Amino acid sequence: MLTIKNLTVAINGNQILKNFNLDIKAGEIHAIMGPNGTGKSTLAATLAGREEYEVISGEITYKGKNLLELAPDERAREGVFLAFQYPVEIPGVSVTNFMKAAVNAKRKHLGLEAMDAKSFLKLMKEKMELVEIKKEMMSRSLNEGFSGGEKKRNEIFQMAMLEPSLCILDETDSGLDIDALRIVAEGVNKLRSPDRSFIVITHYQRLLNYIVPDVVHVMFGGRIVKSGGKELALKLEEKGYDWIKDEVGELV
Amino acid sequence: MGLKEKIAEEYTAQNTDRKSDSPISKKREEAYQHFTKLGLPSNRHEEWRYTHIRNKLPESLSLLRYPIPSSPTFHSFDSLKAHRVVLVNGIFDAALSSINEQKGLTITSLKEAFETKQEIVEKHFGELVKLNEEHFAALNTAFATDGVFIHLEKNIEATLPILIVNLSDNKGESFSQSRNLIVLEQGSSAYVVEDFQNSATAAFVNHVSEIFLAPAASINLTQLQTETRHTTAVYTTEVELLRDSQFTCTCVSLEGKLIRNNVNARMRGENAEAHLFGLYYGTEDSLIDNHLLIDHIVPNCQSTQLYKGILDDESTGVFNGKVFVQPDAQKTNAFQSSKVLLLSDNAAINSKPQLEIFADDVKCSHGAAIGQLNKNELFYFLARGIEPAQARALLTYAFANDVLDKIKLEELRVYVEEKLKSRLNITF
Repeated sequence: MLTIKNLTVAINGNQILKNFNLDIKAGEIHAIMGPNGTGKSTLAATLAGREEYEVISGEITYKGKNLLELAPDERAREGVFLAFQYPVEIPGVSVTNFMKAAVNAKRKHLGLEAMDAKSFLKLMKEKMELVEIKKEMMSRSLNEGFSGGEKKRNEIFQMAMLEPSLCILDETDSGLDIDALRIVAEGVNKLRSPDRSFIVITHYQRLLNYIVPDVVHVMFGGRIVKSGGKELALKLEEKGYDWIKDEVGELV
Repeated sequence: MGLKEKIAEEYTAQNTDRKSDSPISKKREEAYQHFTKLGLPSNRHEEWRYTHIRNKLPESLSLLRYPIPSSPTFHSFDSLKAHRVVLVNGIFDAALSSINEQKGLTITSLKEAFETKQEIVEKHFGELVKLNEEHFAALNTAFATDGVFIHLEKNIEATLPILIVNLSDNKGESFSQSRNLIVLEQGSSAYVVEDFQNSATAAFVNHVSEIFLAPAASINLTQLQTETRHTTAVYTTEVELLRDSQFTCTCVSLEGKLIRNNVNARMRGENAEAHLFGLYYGTEDSLIDNHLLIDHIVPNCQSTQLYKGILDDESTGVFNGKVFVQPDAQKTNAFQSSKVLLLSDNAAINSKPQLEIFADDVKCSHGAAIGQLNKNELFYFLARGIEPAQARALLTYAFANDVLDKIKLEELRVYVEEKLKSRLNITF
């Protein structure tokens, strides 16, 4: 699904990712953990194609294509989905109209006709139930005045609507109470499938109680310094990151 | 012969067969005398500094009446339940108009009102326009022969909205000087739509509306310039507000070669409210100029100016928002906001908030912002697969949306929303 080789990325001239490597197969869930400022969100933004992030070297292959050659909107239509850490508030654009534009952009890309109003509403209703979103939210302005939990649920709802192949969850759990966390995680679990992969970026192990990863990576200093099974997350929760720092320190 | 000489000749020609002793004729003569002194404004005039209207007026233009086409085509808002008044090149068209009967409500052509409603007309006609300052209002007053007259008696609520379609239509150029006179007696209320349309190859429109609001009267006015390509226009709205009256005006300018909107509201009675909302969208080399004035003369009044501009291509916007708070106008609450979205490097805005406050116990705030589309917002759209052009269009639409929300007549709001969507090439 996704292969990242020797990726080095800078923002404002500062290298954040340094010779980063990652390989994700279809259907896998990879958790990426690590302290603040180690490049987790930079990875997410680079995959989504934010222009402020400058790729200095390395390659990203997504479904056999060179991802770096695609514009952000092309990547999205090809099935890359970023669930934002801070979903943007857009006054004046309703959730419904936003999704209509997104769904139809993807359908156009696939050579399909725009969805008729009835089927679209049916699809919305179905996906809203997945993350327990109330109908009233659909006519509200996108994320405007939404609570933290509503914003994150809305991200997962959009993910469900667009049926991506590669889902990147950038700290989707941050700022969520336990009920919201459970709803979001259950939504994600319902979207698991053999041809859909996930990158789950998080600080905390508790999300991984609900979304059980195949692989856990620890990032430090712009690259992955340790990988393991789900038990690695538990160890991090228990012992913190210092022991990793010590290990890495020895390596450096 | 220059335009000014031509105007002189035509004024004489128009007035040879008129009785000169009536108050209306005297008002016209007074206006004409002011106009001969003022002439047409050059850009040396402060109020016209950025709006070079003189070069936009062809010298061949005749101010006398253009032939009225027999079956003009225009958008007639069929789904809207309303009194319909149609003016073609400034002249009331009875065949195209349909006015329902309502007791206490008069809607006629101004021409007819000069004869049948003489007393009310003579009392109000030309009383609000500043003939010694406003070039175009003086010119309009000197030549005004027709337009719409609306009168509501005490405590009458117009049950249907009043739609005035002001159409310029001619095979070649069209010129019109329409004049509306709206008088709302105590406690009455109305929803009025002034819709300007142009199907001529080139049109010049010099329109004036005078609106009198007696105590506790209220008017909601929507002004549309959405079908006004190839139009050079000066639209002047003069409002007098007495105690407890309310004036809400939403002006949407989506098309036009050169559009100048003057909206002047004078607060002459306590507890009056004036709320001015506007949206303008310039493309190609169009110029859209909004000159607003709210004059707080007495205490305890409220006012709003909320204007949003979208400027693309080589278009130019002008915003001049005057808020005067006179020494007696304590406890005034005035708010002004002008926001402009520049979509092109070649678009320009000349923005001038002008607050002159001579009272000390008042609440006045103003803000002016000029910017571009927000990169974070844009990226959010791209990250969902929406193409950049469509993403920009949707965000631009979103920027305009809160002004469109001020149009309380739903059919009308939907019409304007669809217009703006199509102008922005939004595809759903």
